[in-house]
Amino acid sequence: MKITFTLNKEKVTINVDPMKRLLDVLREDFNLLGAKESCGEGECGACTVLLDGKPVTSCILNAIHAEGKEVETVEGISKTKLGKLIMDCFDETNAVQCGFCFPGFFVSSYYYVKTDGEKDLMKIKRALSGNICRCTGYEKIFDSVMLACERSN
Amino acid sequence: MKFIKPKDINNLYEIIDNIDRQYLLAGGTDINVQIKNGIIRNPNIIYINHLKELSGIEEENDSILIGSTTSFKDIIDSRIIKRHIPLIHSSLQNFASPLLQTSATIGGNIANGSPTADVIPILLALDAKLEICSKISCREVFLKDFFIGYKKNVMSNNELITKIIVAKNAEQKYQTFYKKVGSRNSLAIAKVAIAGLKKVENEKIMNIKLAVGSLNEYPRRLFKVEEYIMGKTLIEIDFNKVNEYLQQEITPISDLRSDKEYRYHVCVNLIRTFLNE
Repeated sequence: MKITFTLNKEKVTINVDPMKRLLDVLREDFNLLGAKESCGEGECGACTVLLDGKPVTSCILNAIHAEGKEVETVEGISKTKLGKLIMDCFDETNAVQCGFCFPGFFVSSYYYVKTDGEKDLMKIKRALSGNICRCTGYEKIFDSVMLACERSN
Repeated sequence: MKFIKPKDINNLYEIIDNIDRQYLLAGGTDINVQIKNGIIRNPNIIYINHLKELSGIEEENDSILIGSTTSFKDIIDSRIIKRHIPLIHSSLQNFASPLLQTSATIGGNIANGSPTADVIPILLALDAKLEICSKISCREVFLKDFFIGYKKNVMSNNELITKIIVAKNAEQKYQTFYKKVGSRNSLAIAKVAIAGLKKVENEKIMNIKLAVGSLNEYPRRLFKVEEYIMGKTLIEIDFNKVNEYLQQEITPISDLRSDKEYRYHVCVNLIRTFLNE
């Protein structure tokens, strides 16, 4: 089935099984390897991308869910001004350890800073509650989002 | 395996009237996990998430109508919901995770019919109804009458849930209560969930509605407990009696998340907490 959507601001069309997981479409058909598979059940958030501007777990979405919509991945978001600012904050606070969960945390953080941005720890925790870091480096991740909220205002 | 994307809602009714075994795909958050784990094999999939008629929240006379493929995020963010039925807004905050709230749909949570489905006890306590439609006609069914067994409901194969209907004044003059007990705040599958509404006048509990999840093969109202409590003041309530009625209405099981004794005691304690509030 032919599916057309916008991927990181660019219009794309692919011929694909509509049930193929969106995560696999991104990784295999577009070689965008930022979003990762970890649990494969929507629980860990390593595969987080934005669909029409809202964060979703791409491992339990299908190609058909992207049809006519806008998909933004860590690769696209990190090139934006706000994306760069958040990346710098993660860098400065040494929030990234093994790095596997980072693309997911980055996308959820970007969504929070962009749509809310209040420097409020509880709100940040809730916004990032769909992402799991097995290195358990949460405190530094929260620090970096707090810093990003401060800088983006 | 077949994949069908209906042109419009009438086309959808036409299709489900003609295919025997099928799965409707909306947000996909349950079905994709079931496909991955081999619980569903070679399914006939009918995609419905693009059908505008099934999505959105509107007011109509005395009712709030929620389209079945409306996402939990859209429900939580809805001004109509916040204004008229704040219980839905507040109790769904910890539904799954922010990421799943974006994809998961209210109709999907109901149709999937898990005993632990978060939204069902809340809607049961609010006396919600479902609009169920087929090619020929639509009917309304109270949610309390919808389930008939574990993951079984009254719908035929050619029907689907189109709307969730809640009265605008469903929680007017009521105090509301919701508590989900899980291992953590996000992404928890409830060990026990309870939603309640009560109307108190001169210390007398004039009306009470209690619904529980994770304690039976499908979420249920506790009608016997309600009947016993109604019309009494707090001092007049004998909690041994409450326990007795509760035992008739819940059948908790032990599983990997919790054991049945724990579930039973937590349920009793939560009812007590709500009555004392």
